[in-house]
Amino acid sequence: MEKMTRRKALRYLLVGGAAVAAVPLLDACQKMTATTSIPETAIAVENSTATPSETSTPLNLPDLAVARNGEPEPLVRAAVNAIGGLQQFIPNGGWVIVKPNICTAYYGYEYAATTNPWVVGTLVKMCFEAGAGKVQVMDYPFGGTPEDAYQVSGIAEQVEQNGGEMVVMSSFKFKKTAIENSLGLDSIYIYEDIFKADTLINVPIAKNHGMSKLTLAMKNLMGLMEYRETVHWNFGKCLTDLAGKIRPTLNVIDAVRILLNNGPTGGNLNDVKKLDTVIVSKDIVAADSYAATLFNFKPDDLDFVRYGAKYGLGRSDLAALNIQEIDLGA
Amino acid sequence: MARETENWSTIRKVVQLVFLLAWLLLWLSTAGLTWGVKVLRLPAEIDPLLALTQAIASRTLTLGMLLSLILVLLTLLVGRVWCGWICPVGTLLDFFPFRLKIGEKPKIPEAWRAGKYLILLVLLLAAVFGNLSLLILDPITLWVRTITGSVAPALNGAFTAVENALAHIPWMSDPLTWLDGVMRPAIFPPQIVGIRFVWLPLLLFTVLILLNLLAERFWCRHLCPLGGMLGLISKLAFFKRRVRSECVSCAKCVRVCPTGTIDPYRGYASDAGECTLCMDCFTSCPESAVELKPGWNLEENMPYNPSRRQLLITGTVALAGLAVIDTNTNKHSGGNFLIRPPGAENDDLLEKCLRCGLCLRSCPTGALQASIAESGWVGVFTPVLVPRLGYCLYTCNNCGSVCPVEAIPPLPLKQKQITVIGHAFIDQNRCIPWADGTTCIVCEEMCPLPDKAIVLEERDSTDSEGNVFTLKLPHVVRERCIGCGICEYKCPRAGDAAIRVYRADM
Repeated sequence: MEKMTRRKALRYLLVGGAAVAAVPLLDACQKMTATTSIPETAIAVENSTATPSETSTPLNLPDLAVARNGEPEPLVRAAVNAIGGLQQFIPNGGWVIVKPNICTAYYGYEYAATTNPWVVGTLVKMCFEAGAGKVQVMDYPFGGTPEDAYQVSGIAEQVEQNGGEMVVMSSFKFKKTAIENSLGLDSIYIYEDIFKADTLINVPIAKNHGMSKLTLAMKNLMGLMEYRETVHWNFGKCLTDLAGKIRPTLNVIDAVRILLNNGPTGGNLNDVKKLDTVIVSKDIVAADSYAATLFNFKPDDLDFVRYGAKYGLGRSDLAALNIQEIDLGA
Repeated sequence: MARETENWSTIRKVVQLVFLLAWLLLWLSTAGLTWGVKVLRLPAEIDPLLALTQAIASRTLTLGMLLSLILVLLTLLVGRVWCGWICPVGTLLDFFPFRLKIGEKPKIPEAWRAGKYLILLVLLLAAVFGNLSLLILDPITLWVRTITGSVAPALNGAFTAVENALAHIPWMSDPLTWLDGVMRPAIFPPQIVGIRFVWLPLLLFTVLILLNLLAERFWCRHLCPLGGMLGLISKLAFFKRRVRSECVSCAKCVRVCPTGTIDPYRGYASDAGECTLCMDCFTSCPESAVELKPGWNLEENMPYNPSRRQLLITGTVALAGLAVIDTNTNKHSGGNFLIRPPGAENDDLLEKCLRCGLCLRSCPTGALQASIAESGWVGVFTPVLVPRLGYCLYTCNNCGSVCPVEAIPPLPLKQKQITVIGHAFIDQNRCIPWADGTTCIVCEEMCPLPDKAIVLEERDSTDSEGNVFTLKLPHVVRERCIGCGICEYKCPRAGDAAIRVYRADM
């Protein structure tokens, strides 16, 4: 090996330093091109004048499907197929991200604090049946490590059995994303892969929450952002900003078990009610509106539903929606 | 013959590196308790100084600590082989001999060698009175503390900074994700963990290294209390270094000896209490005149061994020091925020804790930090919970499992989850709903208990635009709160949280 001289060392340092200094430059270039790389689904709220359900639902397919009285897998299959199946959302060999609610590593699924593992597992299976090439499942727990939370919830087992991949979200992938004409959040740090994947399936569990009364599909998107504590000021408006930026392709609300009290963390089986129900809709506001009725709330009782409907994220007028109810027990 | 002895130095260096790697792997896997607590406790359990002083201070014998008898027996056989071959601090000090930098080192008085024996005496005396604070000078605790408290956080910070810088380059995303998966959580924590006083352990260790400027292995010669203890045992060692009559008085061995114990005026003999069995003198001797000779005989008394007068003076000073330290305690002393790990009683912990830092390394959230001010001098570097930096994870009992001496009791998870370690109090002058009149329920949302220890009082309020809305005001239910601190950790108020956990008896 050649001898390292002081002069050589300094030269290497200089080149290395220049490379480091160039990173912000590269970053600037990246930002210039970034605006074009964000997919159409991520348009800001005020640009979407028409509600999604009016423009995108083909004839005769319902805006929302509810399946009741069955095991998780048949429930999910029935409701998803009722709105036309997953093929319409997934390009051949496409990349799907499934986002359940895995909020902590504290309790198993029977406590209804985390999404039912079989609901998630069935969706993973159906994604592959619909031609997906890669299905990733992830959340960003606030209590405990992601690895532990994935295991304790039982979701890791079901996902891996069905060929999906549990992903630990790296903190360097949360990128500052500006929100134009926001209602409260000017910028959010969002997990960048959300914008790169072909399909995002939002799979919350319906449960009680101290601030928003309930945590459903819109609230579940908070797992895709960093520095969430700030959202709690002006919650309804911030959730609308968030759901305007991240537009899930499909929302599947797990109400196999719902949590009536001590949410979102749970831990008390007396607070759990078994409903054996799954709600599916492309319209995130409609899905949340329907789920609210399971807790004897009116959609407008929820701040985020009111703001979401007002600013064009979706519809909360359940009476006017085309809803297909499927009873597997009948 | 010459060839054979030449190899010994090399073999020693290889063994040193292998042990250093082993120490490092043991430390690494302590984070997730990957290798099981029986293995992970070994670094502390092998150390007879920790075992002896801890037994004296707590008046209890911990079974696992009897493993340290292995090291005592090894020392009785061949002397301070621990210091020259195994000790992680000794090995690290060997990396910085400073031989090339300064030709002639200053002459250090031989009498200073007594230092390690006197520090040992103070340690033992203090232990009689239940004070283990000087165990921070034990090499095992120094090692764990320096990498846990300084080296690892610094490396993590550097790694994270590089990750964040490279993450701006589009095509780096996939390789970075792969690298991140390799490094976390195996080596670095998955989430950002804050460590206080990162500079302090490294500063102390740097002093040890810089002392090498005065003399090679200055720390091992003059200060290390474990070295002192093993040195005393070594005086009885079965195998001792002897110089045969082939010696030509070339004095090469005097120059290479890292502890400077080879005395030309005594026929190149050495003191078994000082020799670390590094074998450099074997290697350097042109006549192969150095040997390890078996036989039970007591080492002759050296001029620097502490005299009776020195021992008495040191003992008196130590007792006076202890008296000064311990007289300021009453039931109201101790900081407001002296929150101990689950199940640990403060007085009990002080008498048992080895200051080894294994619990700090095992804490997944960084909630456990080394105490600097919270528990005074007696408790420096003992574990204390700092909720603003991390919360006590509801489903974790790592610290109690890994503690070698049950200073933190090994509570089953179910029991840990109902063990009160502190109490949360809301500062209504700074709490967002109370002070600003706007909604925030983060503390309530985060509370992990099945029946939440934070309840929301609903009150009609008017916002700045004149709309009436329901304001939710958090209250702590004292009987339910266990003091885990996730509320304080997640409180969105900048700076100090508006909800803080105080010690359990408050």
